[in-house]
Amino acid sequence: MWRSLQIGLSQLFSPAHSTGELVAYVVGALLASVLVLALLHKGLGWRGKRRLTMAVTFTAGLFFALEYFYPVRMVAGRQRNFLTDYIQPANEVLAIIMAFTVGLGIYSLIQVHGRNVLRQRRGWCNSLAFFLSMVVMFGFTLADNYIKVSDPPPAVLPYPKASFEILFNGLFMPLQSATFSLLAFYIASAAYRAFRVRTLEAGLMMAAAFVVMLGQVPIGAWLTHSLPVTGYHGIPAFFRLENLGEWVMTWLNTPAQRGITFGVAIGALAMSLRIWLSLERGTFFSEQS
Amino acid sequence: MEAAAPQGFRQRLQQLPRGFIYLLMALVVVWQLLFPLPMPISPSATTKGVYDAINKVPPGKLIVISADWDASTEAETGPQMTAIMHACFRAKKPFALLTLSPPAGAKLANDRAVAVAEQYGAKYGVNWCNWGYKYGYENIVMSLAKNIPATLKSDFHGDPISALPMMTGVKDYRDLGLVIEVTGLANVTEIWLGFLRGPFGTPLAAGYTAVMAPGYYPFVDSHQMAGMLVGAKGAAEMEALVEHPGDATRIMNVQSWAHLLIIALIVVGNLGYLLARGGGRR
Amino acid sequence: MNPEVWIIWAAAIATLGVYGILYRENPVSRLFEHIFVGLSAGYFLAITWTQNLEAKWWTPMVSERHWTWIFAPIIGLLFYFIYSRRFLWMARLVMGLFFGVAAGQFFREFFPLYWPQVYASLKPLRAHPKVGEVTALGWGDVILHNWVFVVILLTVMSYFIFSVPHEGKAGRALGKSALMGRWFLMIAFGAMFGNTVMARISLFIGRVQFLLQDWLGHYVHWLAQRGM
Repeated sequence: MWRSLQIGLSQLFSPAHSTGELVAYVVGALLASVLVLALLHKGLGWRGKRRLTMAVTFTAGLFFALEYFYPVRMVAGRQRNFLTDYIQPANEVLAIIMAFTVGLGIYSLIQVHGRNVLRQRRGWCNSLAFFLSMVVMFGFTLADNYIKVSDPPPAVLPYPKASFEILFNGLFMPLQSATFSLLAFYIASAAYRAFRVRTLEAGLMMAAAFVVMLGQVPIGAWLTHSLPVTGYHGIPAFFRLENLGEWVMTWLNTPAQRGITFGVAIGALAMSLRIWLSLERGTFFSEQS
Repeated sequence: MEAAAPQGFRQRLQQLPRGFIYLLMALVVVWQLLFPLPMPISPSATTKGVYDAINKVPPGKLIVISADWDASTEAETGPQMTAIMHACFRAKKPFALLTLSPPAGAKLANDRAVAVAEQYGAKYGVNWCNWGYKYGYENIVMSLAKNIPATLKSDFHGDPISALPMMTGVKDYRDLGLVIEVTGLANVTEIWLGFLRGPFGTPLAAGYTAVMAPGYYPFVDSHQMAGMLVGAKGAAEMEALVEHPGDATRIMNVQSWAHLLIIALIVVGNLGYLLARGGGRR
Repeated sequence: MNPEVWIIWAAAIATLGVYGILYRENPVSRLFEHIFVGLSAGYFLAITWTQNLEAKWWTPMVSERHWTWIFAPIIGLLFYFIYSRRFLWMARLVMGLFFGVAAGQFFREFFPLYWPQVYASLKPLRAHPKVGEVTALGWGDVILHNWVFVVILLTVMSYFIFSVPHEGKAGRALGKSALMGRWFLMIAFGAMFGNTVMARISLFIGRVQFLLQDWLGHYVHWLAQRGM
């Protein structure tokens, strides 16, 4: 019976034989999905919808967890159980589904900037610039992908590809780099204004910061270059700034970070269990729509 | 008047104008870029770990370089990528670029690879290739471990993966000799560690921005990672190992003086604070 | 068309336009911010299509006629009901799917990711000579490295035990351990601060390098040669 079911399902979901058949199946699938969703929307109350969501959450998590924990046997040199063959297709499908969510943030941006332009609010020209740059970049990125040139690319490019290069390497990347490079100024200003050694802890933090800052750069090595370089098991060599900096990172920083990691790991495991079992409460997890 | 002047000076020490600090920073950087004082760079153990891991990749296995960075961290991760690619070409190890996030990483890494490959006469599809930007994080890595061609389908240029000569016979994790994660994003390394390194033992190395590197020292200590490049310093060390000084080496020369400036500013600020506190007590 | 000169000038103008914000808030910086967001959105949309959806969804569905791929956008587009109050449950349904997937995937990665961390924390606390493949360990290394490591790890972990009050003999001992843990955490944060400074400054040096050596250096040969 299981075999007949498998054969039946594979025939039902086999590829279409012609374009007409493909269109018919696609339209049919769309209509069937709309029908199912409409029936669920009408037929289930908010409790039913919540239980459905809980069941989907649990099943999805169970599939991945079960495939990992279920006993395996060796088949053709690889460990497998009855779920292993479905992991790769499942991941592929999930990645494609996730790719369709790319528009969520874009839709939000379009809403906000669209309102600015339509109502001609203060700064609406900037919102218009946003739309122009989005559309132009979208178009030229597609053009760059579909117009092929030799490998390696020549110095003189077709206009669409050249335009893409100007947008990408001339505007997009430099704007991003410059925006993040502003942090250098802010960190200098913040370090000067806020870093006050008022307590022992602040003093420890400052001392460690100074050792690491000097140890990471060549001038730190130069400042203590008169100390011998006999590996860093020798006492004088230990105090060379580059060795001291390395010791702080490897033997002081590492265990502290690991302590934090253990706490985070246990917390994340507890949180994952709660989410998997739908025990969480909050905006998304509230009982009513 | 005499009592007011030292008080004003103490306050001024703590309240230097922001513009003055920005100007000092800009001047120090410009000065060192125009009149550099080169200083030697000696590779650290973590950087040597990455270099050795590349050289130890068995023949017939592929290196995957996951370029999960963009222009926001390019000053650090860009030179890291370039130095890693130099190491791969020198050791004659074929590598594939891949980007999980952000999308711009695929093109930025590709542009660098084209420039470096030219120096070695390396051919696309034979010595290196670009798998492109594949959205899906854990789903992609889990899928890659089981079936690489089915996961990728096409490369960065939109051509079928199966058409690349170096991808002939590459099926799953058993064909990978090393994964090098170069990133400025948190939590991407955990995906490789949890879904490839842990279950299947594929060696992993990494290149990080200096901000996130302290959090990953525990993974080097536990030998889950063979090594890591720490920011521009790691990139400069790798450039020294592959004997191709580049952007990172230049950055490190300037970095020294910028760090001295930051230290001086912190000391001045604290001096003002201590003097003001001492003056207040009297 | 050779875009090189256009790229250099566009990049220089964009960089200087953004740096204008260091002086004060101005319309040019604001314009460039909006352009950046627009470019980012446009690029993200296009690259998701060309690198992911086209080869892995559209081609199998249309060229190879695997019609079942239509269910992928049907499920994926349910996310957009997050903007609708009436049909919000559909967005929650598909979010629930991904929460479940994430939880299941976390259970899978927990042991491979964190067990080696526990194992690596069990450091030898005694010196020993070389035994077979195991390298010798001197007392200097043991004390300076391993004892320091274990003490820091245990005190930092004790800092995060918030459910035991620091009262009574045991509580006070825990309190002292937590205090030491806090000191070690501050050392770690100082190390992180040092690294953060290095990272941020590197980004700025990269930009100035471009302005001097690529932009101005295109016209003044001496500048292009600096630092080479």
